[in-house]
Amino acid sequence: MANAELAQTPWLPVSAEPQRRGPWHDARLLLSPRAQSIRNRFHRLTRGGRVRLALLAALALTVGGAVFVFFYRALSYFAAVPEFGTVLTYKLLSMVFITFFSILLFSNIVTALSTFFLSRDLDRLVAAPVSARCFFYARFTETVIDSSWMMLLFAAPAFLAYGVVHSTGPGFYVMAILTLPPFLVIPAALGVTITTVLVNVFPARRTKDILVLLSVFAVALLYLLFRLLRPERLVNPEGFADFSSFLSAMQTPEWMFLPSTWATEVLFPLLGLRNGQPAYFYLLLATTAAVALMAGETVLGRLYLPGWSKAQEGRQARLTQRPLAALLLAALTAPFPPQMRLIMIKEVKTFFRDTSQWSQLILLLALVVVYVYNFSVLPLRGSPLVTFYFKNVIAFVNLALAAFVTAAVAVRFVYPSFSIEGRAFWVLKTAPVSLRRLWWAKFWVGVVPLLVLGETLVLATNTYLQVMPFMFWLAGGTLLAMVLTIVALGLAIGAAYPNFDADNAAQIAAGSGGLVYMILCLAFIGTVVVLEAWPVYVLFTSRLGGLPLSAGAWSGIITSLTAVAALNLAVFLGSVRYGLRRLEAIEM
Amino acid sequence: MIELRNLTKRYGQTLAVDNLSLDIPSGEIFGFLGPNGAGKTTTIRMMMGLLQPTAGIVRLGGHDLHRQPLAAKQLCGFVPDRPHVYEKLTGAEFLDFAAGLYHLSAELRDGRRDHLLALFDLTGWCDELIESYSHGMKQRLVMAAALIHAPRILIVDEPMVGLDPRGTRLLKQIFRTLASEGVTVFMSTHSLETAEETCDRIGIINQGRMIALGTLDELRRQDDRHLDSKLETIFLSLTGGLDAHDMVGGSRA
Repeated sequence: MANAELAQTPWLPVSAEPQRRGPWHDARLLLSPRAQSIRNRFHRLTRGGRVRLALLAALALTVGGAVFVFFYRALSYFAAVPEFGTVLTYKLLSMVFITFFSILLFSNIVTALSTFFLSRDLDRLVAAPVSARCFFYARFTETVIDSSWMMLLFAAPAFLAYGVVHSTGPGFYVMAILTLPPFLVIPAALGVTITTVLVNVFPARRTKDILVLLSVFAVALLYLLFRLLRPERLVNPEGFADFSSFLSAMQTPEWMFLPSTWATEVLFPLLGLRNGQPAYFYLLLATTAAVALMAGETVLGRLYLPGWSKAQEGRQARLTQRPLAALLLAALTAPFPPQMRLIMIKEVKTFFRDTSQWSQLILLLALVVVYVYNFSVLPLRGSPLVTFYFKNVIAFVNLALAAFVTAAVAVRFVYPSFSIEGRAFWVLKTAPVSLRRLWWAKFWVGVVPLLVLGETLVLATNTYLQVMPFMFWLAGGTLLAMVLTIVALGLAIGAAYPNFDADNAAQIAAGSGGLVYMILCLAFIGTVVVLEAWPVYVLFTSRLGGLPLSAGAWSGIITSLTAVAALNLAVFLGSVRYGLRRLEAIEM
Repeated sequence: MIELRNLTKRYGQTLAVDNLSLDIPSGEIFGFLGPNGAGKTTTIRMMMGLLQPTAGIVRLGGHDLHRQPLAAKQLCGFVPDRPHVYEKLTGAEFLDFAAGLYHLSAELRDGRRDHLLALFDLTGWCDELIESYSHGMKQRLVMAAALIHAPRILIVDEPMVGLDPRGTRLLKQIFRTLASEGVTVFMSTHSLETAEETCDRIGIINQGRMIALGTLDELRRQDDRHLDSKLETIFLSLTGGLDAHDMVGGSRA
């Protein structure tokens, strides 16, 4: 059809004058797809989706309730301690704000990286005639919401507890609500600015890797530090020997240049415990937020385009392309048929090139260290009889715990195995590879590291505990069988609940299939433990009493252990059969 | 070489492919055309085992895809409509992986990989992670992977999308060369010009049914009005696209 003809068509304007509107209108327009998506998702919820939403809401309420109870009890206790209670109440509020501020700053740096530099819709937005200011405010709003909503879940019940315990008037609640916007804006503006500078120094994809890595390291370090500090010693009266120095440290003033201090100084006087200048500190907070926002806008205006351009750069594979790594992978996979080797090497390479995947190993290492360390500090001194009793009971409980830890790790790494193939699954589906071979490749890639993890947990702790040899080998053997089954079950449920659209493994694991898998694992581990409890008990009492086992007891033990082996075999074979069937049925 | 017998796919109440039967001999370039949602991609996905047919049989090189899937797939190279690949592998690693899946020896693999990388202008990028490739580069990489084992059947879904004119021309030449060597090329496309220029026979599918099948001349002869027409006119006439003009006119009346 000719252009002239089209121009006459009322519903097909060839050219129209662009309608100029204010930046706020444009910013709202930029935010509208997100809001509409949320609304649409909410309106089109399936039954399963509604159940999940209700569960999430219940979980949020429970967490909020727990936070409230914690603060309520702590603050009630502080309120009952004359003089020192006020210091503690202040310190707690100050700690709440400083913790929130640090978390918000970090979370905003990470979130801004996605919202400003890596988000999929950026191509369209950057190419559109959108002013820098309206783009900044739209994305800034998204960043604040994405990075801060979780904090509100904790902050709201904490502030409510402060208000309830100190019977404040409505002024406290109003100020608490008014304090939040500037308090949230400051770390967000700082985060966006830091990210923009970082992206100009490193390409965005590297920046994301570095941040993921740093955050995982930070969490692992905090976890290790917290555990190695042995907080349980605080309940020991000996821990109060240095009380006076503790008190003096508590009374030192906070650093007055921190927004968290200003927020504390806004709210604390309103509790009626001491006087202050809330209006002055609120002004400090609000003006700093405004300045930070403007500074962020200016930095972004100048540095966004060069940073955005760098964000498009790719990167080369490093570690897994080294000849040594290739040799090691070839050697490790040597016993397997060629196609299986290929798939296994591909699995390992893609795992170690995805920072969000391999960095979880650091957390796992921290978990293993703390797990084993916990056993090394168990108070097992006492009479030999009591020690023997405790050690072997703990060793048995430890078996269940280690199996549970293995299942928890498997839900994150094994269960998503097929889904993580994503839309590239066609490569394997259309190749002349039998699904059985694919299945076993995934199985061995999952089973080896999980066996190392599980057996380390069980054997290292049992060595610490110096349990009886029977218990030592029983735990090791049972865990071996359980890990094989847990991995097979993970692959089966993973094949039954494929999710090729997920962005990452964590998202896949958080789906309904992950929940089903964990429930099945719990049931399986529970049944194994119940079946083994009796033989362990019989052997245990015979050792304690120094009596030999009767023939009846032996046959009972053998029956129980055979039942454990049969259960493992049945679940394992059932999983393989079911999983292969489901894998066959996957359509793309 | 490709045999479809009464192939049917039903999604709930919707009949996506309706009783489709087709024979394509060796060395033929077959163009599979149809409007959006006609059932082209569904048919191709059933031909590659990505979708299970509700009814019917797919035979590739004489092998029943359902009964002998590995033997059937070994003969085929496949290029999907969207080039999703392993983003964390490099281009060279992906080609090696694809070669391994089709049991190529290391010597053969290395030679073919280097040749295909050069042919598709990817040599300079072969050690970069695929995540940094453009859409067109991914498309070329997937095409290289489909050819690495020298397939007897090449099934391609919208091969020209995202390719530059040079890439498009290269692909047309590759299809012709492959066909002259006896390879069967089954290609779905929206580019009627490409189909007209490249394909030996054309099948037009609409609402899941094959509504026209033959060489371009045979299609022209199906309707006296189209004896000298281009493929676009025949296609629009058969699929109802010509009505759009009347609809636009009608709305202004």
